[in-house]
This record gives sequence, structure tokens and C-alpha cells, in this order.
Amino acid sequence: MFRKAAYILFAFCLWLWIVGRNRHALTAHSPAVEYYQLKLPDSLPPPVYDFKNNPLTKEGIALGRHLFYDPKLSVDSSISCGFCHQQFAAFGHFDHAISHGVLGRTGNRSVPALFNLIWQKDFMWDGGVNHLDIQPLTPITDENEMGMDLGVLIKRLQGNKTYRKLFKAAYGTEEVTSQRLFKALSQFVVTMISFESKYDSVMRREPGVTFTAEEQGGYRTFTQKCASCHKPPFFTDYSIRNNGLPYLPSMNDVGRMRITNNTADYLKFKVPSLRNVLVSAPYMHDGRFFDIFQVFAMYDHGQQKGNTIDPLVKNGIPLTEKEQRQLYMFLNTLTDKKFLSNKELSEVLITD
Amino acid sequence: MNRLLILIFLFMASGTAAQQVQLEISHVVAGQPMQLRTATYTNAAGDTFNITLFKYYLSNFSLVTADGKKTALTPAYFLVNEDSVASKKILLSQCPEGEYTQLSFMIGVDSVLNFSGPQDGALDPLHGMFWTWNSGYIMAKLEGTSPSSRLPNHMLQFHIGGYRAPHVTQRMVTLTLPSPLRTGPQHKSQVVLQADAMAWFNGANQVSFRQMPGFMTPGTPADRIADNYQHMFSVKKIVNQ
Repeated sequence: MFRKAAYILFAFCLWLWIVGRNRHALTAHSPAVEYYQLKLPDSLPPPVYDFKNNPLTKEGIALGRHLFYDPKLSVDSSISCGFCHQQFAAFGHFDHAISHGVLGRTGNRSVPALFNLIWQKDFMWDGGVNHLDIQPLTPITDENEMGMDLGVLIKRLQGNKTYRKLFKAAYGTEEVTSQRLFKALSQFVVTMISFESKYDSVMRREPGVTFTAEEQGGYRTFTQKCASCHKPPFFTDYSIRNNGLPYLPSMNDVGRMRITNNTADYLKFKVPSLRNVLVSAPYMHDGRFFDIFQVFAMYDHGQQKGNTIDPLVKNGIPLTEKEQRQLYMFLNTLTDKKFLSNKELSEVLITD
Repeated sequence: MNRLLILIFLFMASGTAAQQVQLEISHVVAGQPMQLRTATYTNAAGDTFNITLFKYYLSNFSLVTADGKKTALTPAYFLVNEDSVASKKILLSQCPEGEYTQLSFMIGVDSVLNFSGPQDGALDPLHGMFWTWNSGYIMAKLEGTSPSSRLPNHMLQFHIGGYRAPHVTQRMVTLTLPSPLRTGPQHKSQVVLQADAMAWFNGANQVSFRQMPGFMTPGTPADRIADNYQHMFSVKKIVNQ
């Protein structure tokens, strides 16, 4: 009996050894990379993004950053990701209502700001894109944005000496594939983390940092009237709602309904984060408001109350002049200057 | 005791002793060989049309024995394309030795791979079978032209997809084989399949190109066309050599 068990154990160990050896063979060509640990404040919920499928490395992030700022990703080499996603505007497009594209074309929605993306489960104003890694496919191939054919892009990058070097450093071989391209872009954009605003300092009770009376008043108004949808710590609950923004016939944007083909989703758009909101104007999915006070006014008296309007705002959000002023002061504390000037995220000049 | 050891080794080795089955797929339209661009066909609604592009995903293959035992094969995804001879020959590997009376597979790509980020191989978004504005695979694509179409250039554009309830377009196909398929070390088995593209439009849900020259989002029309093309396959021949 004991010998029988010993044989089985021996066979099992042999099997483990064989399996282990195969695994070693698979990873033998892995590059010598330096793994990178994202610095996140404690007390945040676990990210939605699964880092197991795309472990961060310094080389991967460097490749992603190069790709993000490279206009060669567009059909006529004129527009990079960073062209519309500008760091000083929290990676939104400063002063542009709707997105710009190659050959003077324009899209039909505003450029969303980019940060804290690892907690977001879907993307675009209508939530139509379901994974961060696949998100770049949309602007790269959209004829009104970068207008690029994915196959042509892979060939273009493969033919570039700098990219062959960068891909080899990140992945061990020079081969460019769409999967490698997308994962590298994710590596860079997930490092866009913004939790260093004055608001965060106050919440963390850092010495010497307090709200002014006006900011405190704004915080109270925010908590009472805005925080259900713009929920801290992300200042969005990542949901998709109709906030009562009037429909514009000239744009004819039906929102989420385009994705689900469900009339219950008519005019529903993603709730954007209010972090860095004062540096990422204009506002709303079509960028129609250039001033945050226009947004306050819309909630106070400018809504269009259709069938799908969200129950939380269907009676409007009355805001006195004082409340609006204080709210503005509070939103100002959500600007993260360290993020806006973080050198690790800044543009790299690409000349070849 | 030695016999036990041999048994264990046999058990360990069984994974590699499995055999291959080759599928050969040909495309027809109402029984006539499919000819891209040049041939003209007529659907049941009376619309004449031609086909310029025809491709679809197959996955989740399994083999069923006469007593109903179903063996799922190693997960693999194939993009079958009328324009590519190689894509119409599918090699199913790791088929356990046995005699089978049914073949079953999915037209489309499993739901989970529709929201798991970029894939490679046949599932690479490079192949133009992944929607960019509304993430998810186009399970099957048929394009062409028809004088009945009111789209620009009289185009026909059927991009069938959708993985989220209620608009789910993956379809399981189970085909009873005309004679048993034998797999084993001494066999080089082959299944000859035929797919009839007319099934897309002439099935239980008839399509008139005047009313619907295309459909390119998840939705009820896509579900109905998937119901139609679920029946496009037939088995022409089994070869056990």
C-alpha cells in the first residue's frame, strides 16, 4: 500500500517536473524587463483593469508613451493621441468642443480627459468600448480621427528602426502586432493617475492644508447636490445617464441608444469625473459649454425633461448664485497640478 | 506495481496520442458554387445580387459519439473567408481516438472574448471583424451589391454581431454525419462541409434587399439573420483513410 502511494507520488512529481520544464521553455525568451509598480493611495477600491494580463514594465510604459505622442499613428502622420489628449488639459482637448482629426475632419463628440482609467469598465461617451486595451482601436481607425488602417500601421511601425528597438526592449522580439501595440498604449495611459489635488490633501488631513470657507461651502453643496453621480473618490460613478441636457437636432446624437438599440437608453451619456474639471473645458459630450457656470445654469433651469431623464436630476438642481460661486471654488480644489505637470507623462518629441 | 506505473504513464501520454481531423469547407449560393463579384444570384424575395465578401468565425468544435457522448476539442478560432483557399481547410487537432456520428461547432466567437481586450491570431482586430465603436466581434460578414438596394452604389452590407443579451448572435450548429467519422493513429479523417450563403436570406426569416440592404449593429435583424445562417451548413462527405 505504502509503495503504491510512493509510486503515485513519484509519477505526480515527474508530471509536475515535465509541466514545469515546458513552462520554462515558454518564458526562456522573455525580455529582461524592469517591472513597474503603480503608486496608488490606500483606501481606493481595487482596479477593474487586470494587470495580470499586462504587467507593467518600464520598457512597456516607455513604448506606450512613444506611441501615444507619435503622429505616425495617423494616416497622414499629422495627429498623435497626444494631439487631442493634452496633459495641461488633464489629457482632454483644451478649448475644442469636438474632436479634431486628419485632413481637417471633425468628429461629433468632445475629447474625454484621461486619468484614473484603471477603475473604468467601459469607455467612450456611450460606453460602447468594453476594455481599456481595445480602446485605442477606435480613434486610430476612425476616419474622422486618425484615419489609419490597422494593418498599414503595423507595417509602418515594423519598418521603423526606433520601434523595432522599443518593441524588442518591451517584449523580447522586434515583432510588432496589434496586441502588443494596444497593450503598450495601455501601459502608458494607466500611469495617468490623479489623486494629488488639494481636495485629496484635505481628505488625507495633511498638515497645514484646509479648505477655505468658500471651498468648504462648495464642498457642502457638492455633497448634497452632485455627489450621487459624481461620486468620490473618482468623482464619477462611471454610470451612463440622461442628465437633462437638451437634444441638439444638428448633432442628432442619441447617446447610449446607438450601442444598445434600446430606446430606454436614448440621450444617455457617461457621467464624467469632476477631477481636473476646471482645466478640461469645454463640457458635455458635445462640448457645448465652455464655462462651468453654463453647466450650473443647465442644471438650475436649462434641462430638457424627456422620458429617459435620470430620476436624480429630473427636478433640476436649484443652485443659488452663492452656491454656484462656492461650488466653483470647491471644484478648483480638484485640480491636480502635480498630475498636469508630471514629467513622466509629458510629450516626447519624435522626429523619425 | 509496474503495471500501475505504466498505466500512469499512459494516462500522461494520452494527451499527445490524439488525432487530427481535417474539415474542408466549400461555399455555394442556392446550390451553385460561390463566385465573388462575377456571379448573379436571386433571393426568394426576387432581388438579384452578387457577393463581394463572405467570411465568418467558427469555434467551439466538439465531436459526438453514437451514444451521445460529447467531446469538446481544444479551444480554437477560425476565420473562414471565401477569398482565402487556406482558410477553408480547418485542421482540428487533439481529437480523441473514436468513432463519431455528429459534429458540432459555433458560428461566432465566445462572449467572453468579446470583452477581454485585443486578441491575436484569427481574432486579431486586424482582420476587420471587430467593431471599433461598439466593442465586439462581427461573427459573420456578407457584402455585395443588389439593384434592389437603396444604399450608395447599391451596396449590401450585412455585418452580423452582438454578444450581449438580448441581442446574441453566436449560433451552435450540430450536424449529423452521413457515415461515422473514425479518428485514430491509422486514420486520416476528413469531413467535407458545404455552406450555402442563400440561407442568410431565404431561411425562416426572409430578407428583402429593398427593405433591408444591410445591417451593421447588434439588434433584432442581426439575431434573425443569425437564426437563418445557423442552417447554412451541410455535410457532403466523410473520408476515413
